[in-house]
Amino acid sequence: MPLISVANLRHTYRLGRVDVPVLRGVDLSVEEGEFVAILGASGSGKSTLLHLMGGLDRPDKNPDSSIVFRGEDITRLSHAKLDTYRSRDIGFVFQFYHLLPELTVLQNVVVASMVMHGFGFASQRAAATAEATGLLNAVGLSHRLHHRPAELSGGERQRVAIARALINKPVLLLADEPTGNLDRETGKSILEMLLSMRRERKQTFVIVTHDPETAARADRIVRLLDGRVVPA
Amino acid sequence: MPLLAALAVALCTAMVLIVWSVMGGFLSTFMTSGRTISGDLVIEWPNAGFGHYQDLIGRLEKHPLITAAAPTIESFGLITLPDGRRETVIIRGIDGQSFAKVSNYNEILWWRPIDKPVERDTKRMDLRLKAENRQALEQVLQNGLSLTRTDPRTGLAAPAVVPGIHVTGTSYRDGEHGIYFRSIRDTFNADGTKSETSAFAPLDSFVTLHVAPSDTSGNVIQMATRRLPVANEFMTGTFEADNKIVFIQLDELQRMLQMHEAPRTEKGGFRIEIDPKTGDERLVDDAKVIGVDPARVTNVVVRGKEDVSDEAALERLKAAAEEVYAEFAQAHRGEVPHEGNIRIKTWIDMNSTIINAVKKEISLVLVLFIIISLVAVFLVLSIFWSMISEKTRDIGILRAMGASRSGVAGLWLFYGFLLGLTGAILGTALAYTIVLNINPIHEWLGRALGIQVWDPRIYYFTVIPAKVDTFHASLVFAGGVFSAVLGALIPALHAARMNPVRALRFE
Repeated sequence: MPLISVANLRHTYRLGRVDVPVLRGVDLSVEEGEFVAILGASGSGKSTLLHLMGGLDRPDKNPDSSIVFRGEDITRLSHAKLDTYRSRDIGFVFQFYHLLPELTVLQNVVVASMVMHGFGFASQRAAATAEATGLLNAVGLSHRLHHRPAELSGGERQRVAIARALINKPVLLLADEPTGNLDRETGKSILEMLLSMRRERKQTFVIVTHDPETAARADRIVRLLDGRVVPA
Repeated sequence: MPLLAALAVALCTAMVLIVWSVMGGFLSTFMTSGRTISGDLVIEWPNAGFGHYQDLIGRLEKHPLITAAAPTIESFGLITLPDGRRETVIIRGIDGQSFAKVSNYNEILWWRPIDKPVERDTKRMDLRLKAENRQALEQVLQNGLSLTRTDPRTGLAAPAVVPGIHVTGTSYRDGEHGIYFRSIRDTFNADGTKSETSAFAPLDSFVTLHVAPSDTSGNVIQMATRRLPVANEFMTGTFEADNKIVFIQLDELQRMLQMHEAPRTEKGGFRIEIDPKTGDERLVDDAKVIGVDPARVTNVVVRGKEDVSDEAALERLKAAAEEVYAEFAQAHRGEVPHEGNIRIKTWIDMNSTIINAVKKEISLVLVLFIIISLVAVFLVLSIFWSMISEKTRDIGILRAMGASRSGVAGLWLFYGFLLGLTGAILGTALAYTIVLNINPIHEWLGRALGIQVWDPRIYYFTVIPAKVDTFHASLVFAGGVFSAVLGALIPALHAARMNPVRALRFE
């Protein structure tokens, strides 16, 4: 049984009075522990697919469409349950890091745990801080714990984002062009680190990229063209 | 920006609290000064009055809730002033000693020697402070207490009046310093010359009182007129009292109003007799004396033992007076007004018109200022809206991590609450500081900028009355916090409804 499977997924953006279809019926299954790379040109709908799989957005209303995660169709979840899905089961890594500028590196990682535990965080604070410190050590940022994102390089910021994505031990890691904003060398090292950490944690990994070299590292490549999956 | 929101809340909190405190202080001072001569409660039967009042007073003073009771007569009348003007006044007959037990009569007598100047008299200009006036003022004070003035020619103490300090027009008020001087008046003579006359009422002025006595049925018999010296003057701080009331000895007014003790004769005792020698007609009164009509008073003023600023205590006192009067009426059935007819009024009932007017004014002003304070709500709203726009991407990040809509809204509302709390603390502190120092601040404004908001010549209180009520302060404080939360509500809901993907792409 796949960890997550997407069936006949459609998504349309509205630009003013014009409807722009981005996904035109995507089918995709990802097995538990699998590393899948989604490859496609800009505007092919890669990021949108990732956002829909991660519960960040909802697909067009269609009775045949579904995103089934561990047997449950997340397109039919309530807002509250979708929030829980995002915080507990999914770890996101974005191209532009998306760190909170007012918080320190450590706080940026801990905040994800805070979001997941809600009011119960008070009792989890020490454990979460220890976990975050451990993750930041693992990504080589032990000396930057109390720095703010503005004081870090792009590579360092992305490492913080990776640590944040991993702190709640999600089953599914979704990365949207994680090296797209970095130079080649840094991008390479970030990818290596991401892969080794997900291997250690046996996490399912879906990465969106337009870089064939990155995609080549995956167990399977899925190509998107004009909002549809095409044969690799 | 958040500081600006907190500042807006602080200023609005301070503004409402200051206005409420000053208006509340005004009402409280007014009510206190209103009670200085009205006592806590009055049992009244106007015009005709009622007899056996000493018995009623004896019964009242035995009641555990009552400290003292005093007889008074209240009558409308005319006063001819030293300068010839004639005014309508309320003439109140009192017995100085007993009246002082139910009112602050001793304290309101203005002309007395004092050691410390009044609050605004920084230059010590008050005549009452001068050592050379001390002996004379001591005598004037005694005159006021006994409502008599010693005639320098005969050395005899004659009945005298104690008018409010604005009645005679002989005392000139220096509003700025809160003191009075003897007035100096220019008189223009027929030959074009001008002469200066100076008068100090308690030493050299006489007034003439005109009252309309009535029989036991309340019908006016004929006007009674009496010229009386001025013994002292009183100042309550309430213009209506200080401008309209004249105190006189109780028994003197009883005589003028024919309410003193007198023989009671049978009706129809007059007949016409013709002198057999001269043939002249004459009126013969051979009515038989059948008893004594007791002296009457129109009011019995009562002072309670409990603090009657508490309305419940005042109601208990009223119930006690009603109970005592019922017993008294039973004992003198047919001779005094029935307990169902007698009027028993508390000091609040007596001043209800002005108290209600001031209370309504306070409500009106508060409503106006609260409406103005709504500006703070809109200011917080616009500041939060702008902050949320600035933080759109951060909101997207939190939502991407799984933060719930209610969590995001709660975060902004909590932020609004904290800003409101900060603003309310600052505003309350500011209001306390200003209210507690309102008079020095007002004086400084006057000196530095020439601004005089509170003119004591108009308000008749020499200082701005202001009192911060803890309950009011708590309400305003809570209102300040609430307004900030209310202002944050719409932006918070907007933040909560953001689509995470669009928020993350926000530039």
